[in-house]
Amino acid sequence: MLWRAIAGQWRCVSAASALGAMHQTGEALVPVLIGVIIDEAVATGDAGALARLVAVLIGLFVVLSLSFRFSLRLGERGSERASHAIRMELTARVLHSGGGAENGRLSGELASIATGDAKRVGSVNLALPIAFAAVVGLVVGAVALLRVSVPLGLLILVVAPLMLVLAHLLGKPLERRSEAEQDRAAQASGIAADLVSGLRALKGIGAESTAASRYHLTSQGSLVAAVRAARAQSLLEGSVLTLTGLFLALIALVGGKLAVQGDITVGQLVAAVGLAQFLLWPLTIFSWVNGLFAQGRASAKRVTEVLSAPYAVPPAAGSLPSDVRGHLRLSGVSSDSLRSLDLEVRPGELLGVVAPDPADAAALLRLLGREVDPTAGSVELDGVCVSTVDVSSLRGSVVVAAHDADLFEGTVASNVVGDVDGALDASALTLPLETPVSERGRSLSGGQRQRVALARALALAPPVLVLHDPSTAVDAVTEVSLAAGIREMRRDRTTIVVASSPALLGAADRVVLLSDGRFVASGTHSDLVRDHETYRAAVLS
Amino acid sequence: MTRELLPIASGARTWAVLRSLAPVKLTLLAFGVLVAGTGAGMVAPPVLGHVVDLVTARRDEFLLPVAVLVVVALLQGGLTALGISLVAKVGEGVLAELRERFVTRVLRLPLEQVEKAGAGDLTSRVTRDVQVVADAVRIALPTMARASLTIVLTLVGLLVLDWRFLLAALLAAPIQAYTVRWYGGRAMKVYTAQRTAVGEQQQQLLDTIGGASTVRAFRLGEDHLSRVRTRSEAAVSLTLRGIKLLSQFYGRLNVAEVVGLVGVLVTGFILVGNGSATLGTATAAALYFHSLFNPINQALALADDVQSATASLSRIVGVVDCPVPDRGTFDGVADGSVKVSGVGHSYVTGRPVLSDVDIDLSPGERVALVGASGAGKTTLAKLIAGVHTPSAGTVDVGGDPRDSVALISQEVHVFAGPLIDDLRLARPSASVDEVEAALARVDALAWASALPSGLSTVVGEGGHRLTVAQAQQLALARLVLADRPVAILDEATADAGSAGARALEAAASSALEGRTGLLVAHRLTQAESADRVVVLEDGRVVESGTHADLLAAGGKYATLWAAWSGSR
Repeated sequence: MLWRAIAGQWRCVSAASALGAMHQTGEALVPVLIGVIIDEAVATGDAGALARLVAVLIGLFVVLSLSFRFSLRLGERGSERASHAIRMELTARVLHSGGGAENGRLSGELASIATGDAKRVGSVNLALPIAFAAVVGLVVGAVALLRVSVPLGLLILVVAPLMLVLAHLLGKPLERRSEAEQDRAAQASGIAADLVSGLRALKGIGAESTAASRYHLTSQGSLVAAVRAARAQSLLEGSVLTLTGLFLALIALVGGKLAVQGDITVGQLVAAVGLAQFLLWPLTIFSWVNGLFAQGRASAKRVTEVLSAPYAVPPAAGSLPSDVRGHLRLSGVSSDSLRSLDLEVRPGELLGVVAPDPADAAALLRLLGREVDPTAGSVELDGVCVSTVDVSSLRGSVVVAAHDADLFEGTVASNVVGDVDGALDASALTLPLETPVSERGRSLSGGQRQRVALARALALAPPVLVLHDPSTAVDAVTEVSLAAGIREMRRDRTTIVVASSPALLGAADRVVLLSDGRFVASGTHSDLVRDHETYRAAVLS
Repeated sequence: MTRELLPIASGARTWAVLRSLAPVKLTLLAFGVLVAGTGAGMVAPPVLGHVVDLVTARRDEFLLPVAVLVVVALLQGGLTALGISLVAKVGEGVLAELRERFVTRVLRLPLEQVEKAGAGDLTSRVTRDVQVVADAVRIALPTMARASLTIVLTLVGLLVLDWRFLLAALLAAPIQAYTVRWYGGRAMKVYTAQRTAVGEQQQQLLDTIGGASTVRAFRLGEDHLSRVRTRSEAAVSLTLRGIKLLSQFYGRLNVAEVVGLVGVLVTGFILVGNGSATLGTATAAALYFHSLFNPINQALALADDVQSATASLSRIVGVVDCPVPDRGTFDGVADGSVKVSGVGHSYVTGRPVLSDVDIDLSPGERVALVGASGAGKTTLAKLIAGVHTPSAGTVDVGGDPRDSVALISQEVHVFAGPLIDDLRLARPSASVDEVEAALARVDALAWASALPSGLSTVVGEGGHRLTVAQAQQLALARLVLADRPVAILDEATADAGSAGARALEAAASSALEGRTGLLVAHRLTQAESADRVVVLEDGRVVESGTHADLLAAGGKYATLWAAWSGSR
């Protein structure tokens, strides 16, 4: 996965690496050049040399500035594009008609894989050029130092990494402590947001002052943690400052001695001081890059897990007859909680299904939508076993409108497509078509949301429509008119309504009662109410 | 309803509040220590310059300057560490006080005002603004403080070396000022757009992935894939535009760096040439200037964060300063009776939602409110609970409605944290037994005890996820614990699906025992079991009586019941 992300953007990555190397070389040469200017111009008073060297300095800045700019841009482009590609691949896999990618993952988690993890995998394309540039910078800096003075150069090249190892060892426990405290410090913001989103619930029971005093405790706890985190962080920064300062003192001592002996010039001493400080950067960058790669690997694993998840139903290539009559037959079907269920739905029938155990209803819906294949028995549509039919084309003929189906951002018109007018009438919807719908339909009331969802299903006018509890969020007055609307709109087309509302069941041609995953009774709503105790308890109590 | 956003404090007021929150002595101490620490670091370049002078003079006397460098290193590290942690103490203290005042004030604001502002306004203040300010305190504040001190003290150092060095260094300032102005406006625009685009991309992913089963069922895959692609591409292209801008920003700062550096080197050349400075002094000046690069870049890059933190602060202080209206005085003790007389209400003048409503509830009575959407059921519930004040007529619950009426609305919320803490919001003093009794009463004890850590299980955002029905049962258990004489349930059982609805109805009925109850009936079985049924139509009461009476009367309710129960 990681290598694929890099390979997909190799042009950006290699160009960014080359430019990054150029930039680091330039940065390494700045202290060297300052040393030369001090030696050959400031110390000698040679104006011609000054003019020449200043021109070189300006040229050097132009090169390092431009190479940095484009290296950064190319690296980011490689990173962002790779993340985008992964994001699209993940979305396509999740939406694939075969399903199975969710596999128990929450949608928030999947969305964060498609954003956070995709980004971290992509970031490898940003880290790689930086790592390459740091290596080049290190080599150039080391060569420059050794050319100034072999003993001073060796001293710096040995002490600098040792010092960083020391800083790293000092820093690790502090950093860990700081991270743990930072998590606690972040709680205060989270809890505040939580209280505000529950404001109505709090005010409804008069819990304002309890909530306020509880928040005081959370906030003070976070305060203590935040101050501790900051203390750990400041200790870390302080020790790095001290170590760098001591390093500088050492170079001043050794460099000064060498200069007095005439082994190096004053300018070279200045260059050595500058180079020593420059070298600290490429050295620190390695642990950072290492961290990015580790994160990238962990993220790549999560991405791969989703992409390689097995499909919930195996792909099939069969097709249905072009004109589906809507004759459904379940014979001896076992699936989830259903056990050897036999059920026949005649073409054009409006069938009510009452399943007191929600698990039975869910199992039936999953089966009809071919989200799963039965473990035993078969589901046939117009005599064709649906397990042999391509899922996507099957769903063109059999539409299952789940109780918790989501609306999508846009307008009522963008959600309801097909026979719009009839569907809106049947769903008793008076909302104008251009009414905006926010994500998940949250801008609508529960009742409106459910009716738009119903209208969406009806408008498609599929040969077979399965509706699950389509009226639970609407008031009783509206429910009665929905029942009539569904009957009218679905005249002569097969419709299954899985519900327990008497208003809906009363409108059905026939009602089937399921219990313990099996068929129990069948008849009209009024017959069953009159004759069947279990049925009466299920729908009228 | 017109939007009336919550107030935003003026800049002056925001600073006044901040100043009043910061402890003076600690702030001065923090600042002093940080100045001392940064100042110690300023000694290094002249000492190195002195080393250069010793070299030029061929004098091998490095022990003293090196000893000074060692002391400087220790002082700089120690004092800076202390300074940063003191600054954090001040900053975090102010932040904590501010967020507590904010939350306390939000909790006291009338719901009516919050609703008028729209839920988004408050939510974005409490999530985004509080976070932006916290980040600024944690990241921008210490870095900014150190960087600006370093800049100021370095300029002082240059002045001490020779005023002409300072002049040369300041050649860079106009370029930097121009760069910041050039960048500031553009960056603000691009980053705002980028944040919005990333937010939209995130939202689209949540929408698409969260609704994946719907997308598959309705074969909307192609459409959603292209929605995600559009949003993701927009976010990518804006991010890259931001990076381009940033790289141009650094490019311009590079120009400032080279101009200043050349200026200092040329000044050194001249001053050393005419004998007014030593080579060591010129070296120290060059080192000073070179060490300015990082702090200047940091300070300028953070200018943006500081700006947005200031904007967020004024939105937080705006809420903190909101006046809380007087609750008014209520004589008498609530006994559970409710008297609604001649009540009318309109959110927009001329468009009444309720007119001339009279309803009396006697203590302990259970009344079901029946009507189509938009008939005014929720408005009536809110008026009785004291959320809104009626435009006409009076609502009398005997005492202060905010102490005697409990309202459960459609939006249920599970508070993040241990389950038992959620319930104790309703009664902080409740013992474990009392909490368990309340759960048992709404038939929730079985599942609550079966949670991974029982009642201590962390639920809500980031914790164990409860179903909608379970969340509604919790709301009912809170109602039991709050133990108010009057309880209003506004479609609290609505969205649980048919099987869950029945269980919730039983739980609601049990929670209402011993209380006056008004329930906005959703399933007519609720109406059937109530003491009295009130039918609302277009904001007016059209029928009122027991289920049996209304059936016998053969009016609207009877027709409705016949159709609903299917007993044609």
